[in-house]
Amino acid sequence: MLLAYKAALASPRVSAAAIEAGEFPRLADEMNVWAVPSIAVNGVPQWDGAVRERLFLERVLAPSFG
Amino acid sequence: MPAAVFRQDEEPRLRELLDAMERPVELVVALGPEETPLPGAGDFDFSAETVKIVEALAALSGRVTSRVEQQPEWVPRFPAVLVLPAGEDVGLRYYGTPYGYELASLVGAVLEAGRPTPSLAPESLERLAAVDRDLAIDIFVTPT
Repeated sequence: MLLAYKAALASPRVSAAAIEAGEFPRLADEMNVWAVPSIAVNGVPQWDGAVRERLFLERVLAPSFG
Repeated sequence: MPAAVFRQDEEPRLRELLDAMERPVELVVALGPEETPLPGAGDFDFSAETVKIVEALAALSGRVTSRVEQQPEWVPRFPAVLVLPAGEDVGLRYYGTPYGYELASLVGAVLEAGRPTPSLAPESLERLAAVDRDLAIDIFVTPT
């Protein structure tokens, strides 16, 4: 989670939200959340599981977003 | 959830870290109608617990302040905690109650927001500075 927050602090174009899946089960269901952490970018589910900084940014900054 | 938000033995170090922050951080708790949580939540009052956690964190250091807002229209779900470095909304949110393992996420967000530059590798900062489109990262978490 912290990597996403750091990314949001580093760029005015990036925002980051943690969403507690158990408190928002409808949204978690819509986003096909089966395991945590589960990452979505611009409302599209991407991957599950923690990854290191470099891979996190590679995936989040992939040209397919935005 | 135990009565105390932070363990007594971890408070001194946390105070020290918060006091050393280079810029102040404001926490805004947004309260409003809650979604029905998963079965098992029982009588847990998510809004009250969120206020309690955020106020306990703010009570540790003069570098952290907190306030509660009722149903701000720019917040889509409740409860939510907004982390504002130097009072500025830069898009840091926690939707839900940051307890259990997720308390560390909130503390981490506050400590990062208190830094003038995020603790990322120089090449990561460079890549992020070059982002020219809006990216909203959502991370689903659980407190246990």
